[in-house]
Amino acid sequence: MTLETEVQSLRQVPMFRDIDPARLKLLAFTSERVQFGAGQRFFSQGDPSDAAYVLLDGRASVLLNTPTGEIQVAELSGNALVGEMGILSDTPRSATIMAAEPTTALRIDKRVFLELLAQFPQMSLAVMRELAQRLERTNAQLVAQSSS
Amino acid sequence: MAKDREEVLFSFEGYNSTAMEKSLFRYIWTHSKRDQLFICFVVLLSQPFYFISLDLPRRIVNEAIQGEAFREGNVTAPFLQLHFDWPQWLGGGSIRLFDGFQVGRVGLLLGLSCLFLLFVVVNNGFKYWINLAKGILGERMLRRMRFDLFAMVLRFTPEALRTVKSSETATIIKDEVEPIGGFIGDAFITPVLLGMQALTALVFIMVQNVWLGLMALAVIAVQFTVIPRLRRELLRLGKERQLASRELAGRIGEVLDGIEVVHVHNAYAWERAEIGNRLFGLFSIRLKIYNRKFAVKFLNNFLSQVTPFLFYAVGGYFALRGTLDIGQLVAVIGAYRELPPPLKELIDWDQQRLDVQVKYDQVTQHFAEERLGPLIESEAEAEDEPLVGSLVVEGLGLPGPHGDMVVENASFSLELPAKVALSSNGSPAASMLARVLARRITGFAGRVSIGGRDLTQLPVSVAGRKIAYAGVDPIIFPGSIRDNLVYGLRFKPLARAEADRREAARRIAEAARTGNPFESIADSWIDLARLGLEGEQDLDRVLVGLLEQIGMGDSIYLFGLAGRIDPERHAALAERLVEARNRLRETFQSSGMADLVEPFDIDRYNDQASIAENLLFGVPISDEFSGRNLADNPLFRSAIDRAGLTDRLVRMGLQIAETMTEIFQGLPPGHSLFAQFSFIGAEELPEFQAILRRRARGGHDPKREERTRLLALPLAYVEARHRLGLLDDSLKKQIVEARSFVRDTLEKAEATGVEFYDPEGICMAAPLRDNLLFGRVNYQVADARHRVAEAIAAVVRELDLLEDVERIGLDHEVGAAGRLLSPQERASINLVRCLVKRPDILIVDGALAPFDEERAGKILRALVEHLKQQSLFMVLSNDRQITAFDVLIRFRDGRIVTEKMADPQRQAQGPGGETAQSIAGEVA
Repeated sequence: MTLETEVQSLRQVPMFRDIDPARLKLLAFTSERVQFGAGQRFFSQGDPSDAAYVLLDGRASVLLNTPTGEIQVAELSGNALVGEMGILSDTPRSATIMAAEPTTALRIDKRVFLELLAQFPQMSLAVMRELAQRLERTNAQLVAQSSS
Repeated sequence: MAKDREEVLFSFEGYNSTAMEKSLFRYIWTHSKRDQLFICFVVLLSQPFYFISLDLPRRIVNEAIQGEAFREGNVTAPFLQLHFDWPQWLGGGSIRLFDGFQVGRVGLLLGLSCLFLLFVVVNNGFKYWINLAKGILGERMLRRMRFDLFAMVLRFTPEALRTVKSSETATIIKDEVEPIGGFIGDAFITPVLLGMQALTALVFIMVQNVWLGLMALAVIAVQFTVIPRLRRELLRLGKERQLASRELAGRIGEVLDGIEVVHVHNAYAWERAEIGNRLFGLFSIRLKIYNRKFAVKFLNNFLSQVTPFLFYAVGGYFALRGTLDIGQLVAVIGAYRELPPPLKELIDWDQQRLDVQVKYDQVTQHFAEERLGPLIESEAEAEDEPLVGSLVVEGLGLPGPHGDMVVENASFSLELPAKVALSSNGSPAASMLARVLARRITGFAGRVSIGGRDLTQLPVSVAGRKIAYAGVDPIIFPGSIRDNLVYGLRFKPLARAEADRREAARRIAEAARTGNPFESIADSWIDLARLGLEGEQDLDRVLVGLLEQIGMGDSIYLFGLAGRIDPERHAALAERLVEARNRLRETFQSSGMADLVEPFDIDRYNDQASIAENLLFGVPISDEFSGRNLADNPLFRSAIDRAGLTDRLVRMGLQIAETMTEIFQGLPPGHSLFAQFSFIGAEELPEFQAILRRRARGGHDPKREERTRLLALPLAYVEARHRLGLLDDSLKKQIVEARSFVRDTLEKAEATGVEFYDPEGICMAAPLRDNLLFGRVNYQVADARHRVAEAIAAVVRELDLLEDVERIGLDHEVGAAGRLLSPQERASINLVRCLVKRPDILIVDGALAPFDEERAGKILRALVEHLKQQSLFMVLSNDRQITAFDVLIRFRDGRIVTEKMADPQRQAQGPGGETAQSIAGEVA
């Protein structure tokens, strides 16, 4: 696995789809590749948001704290982006991410990510587009829910 | 006998002059009259030889070459004949001491010539000695003066220090006294010598013709009266220039100290204008000086040239009249030619004298007596009674910065030892009282005494031991943390360091001649016995313990891990280091953490280390083997050439350059990402682009310089971190094989720039952490650093090495003004420095400001715990911590109220008085 394969993975992430290859390379180069053992946490709910992760290999569970303990609400696998909302909105982690099996991820540091956004408008636009699309989907879901 | 000697060695007397002499000449004369007189004597002694050497050429020409000595048909003439003619008025006649050798013409010529040569040697010998002696004398006096000034710097009163600028004082001691030192050697000798020469010439002229002599004298008189007058203005300008340039130095120092504010407020233009204006001012003064100086010079030259005119005109007239014969006139003019050089030099000397005197006056004014505190008295064995008993404050009045009174006529008393809180809700009164107790404010009204002893009258030596003050700005000197912590323990040296005895004797003799101290900082200064300690190790233990109590244990541990181990000083740790290393390895293996650290293995490539590290398999000690210099190092280059690696690495460099130029393009130069991630600095990017373009076009072999640049890139490449996929197994294998080439080449060339790794030994050039790990933490395992750190801490605790590690942490360098430390660390060091000397009274005035409330509370409890038998005064900004104290002194509107706290053991009362009243239990 080299930088090139990481760039390929990043390209699969909707948020980064339209970004220039050279910029994606920069994003990959300034990120760290980290391995998590099964059961190791990427981060825990309530932690400060310091990085986003792209899953390169393996699976991870999304856990929420409830009065009855942690429950799994979703599972992530190949090329999923996680933790980006936290670093963009500067809020603590809203969920816990735990590796379900030995997992490799690309860790995108918050400061570096924001620097890149500030430097390259094209990247900011891509992120905005993705966020807007998510919002639209959420709106659509809300409409669907309220009409049903 | 031996004891007497010790006393002499450590006597403090001799360099405590009260203030500088007002007159430079008196200063010079007081301290160097013996040397001056001796040099003068030698100068006089040298004169006859000088005259003989002037006379010899005449004799060579007249007697030997023209043959005057053989005039009367003599075949031989006496050589080295010594006879002395008595002057007429003593009856005439002559005494023959030695009749000389009878020699022929050639013999006489050679003999006289050799004699001439001999006198040349003798004269130059004299000259050499005189110059040397003058130079040494000047240097000695310079050393004395600098030291005297520095001794006065130490005596500046706290009040004077508000107006004294440090950089100005530094320029004075360093630069301004320099020309004074250069002058000292000439101060007495030059006028004597030159005066004598000029006088001789003048007397000679007088003897020829009184009128002509008087004329020359008149012109000289004009020169000596008018010119100094004209130069007075020059001196005033010189004074102005000296002040202006001193202020310039001061201003530059200020800007540098406050550079942060300049950056933050974008005050570049203003500061540039400010300095520009000062430089203009300096230039204008200089311009005036030049104008004046050369005008004076012109006049001086004119006057000295006008005398021959008078001689020709007036002397010629006398000659025409027949009152003076031509021979005399020629002789007078000849003699006059000898007059100007010494006169000119004498006038120059006089100029220099005035100049230096001005400088000296300026210097002494800076160290004016009213700015100086009392003499630091000689260190008689200080009484060792603790400062306890009644603290009585009577009629205390503290003037504020605006001339108002912050505290007026306040009185109170309390029994020490006690823990006393000083609270004034924002007014400076509490802090000022703290500073009064710490003797940092001397200008106050009233009387403060402890146990019947007037606080202001306590000898410095007693106060320095018994009272400790931690202010809001921790003052940290460059050096190690240990140096800073023990700063308060160095009162006087106790034992001489076992250094070279002869060198030490020379140093002490020199110190005696220049009024410098005999103590050396290499001596052992710390009175371990007084602290009840046995050795340095004990002291370190105490320091580390105190730091832990103050809450700096973690930092000092981390500093220790980052520090270098010295097998001599840390023998215990050095012995067990390899054991700890192996234990750590076992821990990793047994707890499934083996992938966290990739160990250094001579037979395997380390993916977590750079190619340079992999090639060296060691740590560079000298600069030529570290960073980019490595790529240019001939030894290293020849080694990788032999290993056949150079071309592959250069190719790799091209690939890296290509990737870097691609991905960093478009980032503005100076962007933080460059510094953090790129192999190539922003400013180098165009050069590498050019190299790549040339390669793409022609494909010719890059030049050596280009290859070096390219080679530097892969040397910093860490496969696991940078993930460019540039290393395959065959290249890794080749690099591992190249290690032996590198080592061989370096060892053959006896280069000491690299310390190689040894699994069974310590690498002194590497930090302790690396020595423990003997490998690199895996970049790619999540949270690896943290887990490794925990594992190291566990092993360190398990093997009981914590204290040894922390002792290495004490060696951590703090940087200028402690800038390499955090504010909390600086404050902690400040406090521990006070605690370690076990003062009877510790005064804490804002030293806890950098800490948050919780940490401050912890430190306060630690202080109270530590100072069971001693007193603590602490300035508090609020009442939250108040319960820890016995007594609260509260300032309200210039009045002092003392309150006894809950603890009934301790006594505290406000003695009636109109300004103090006891409101027990208000807070408690």
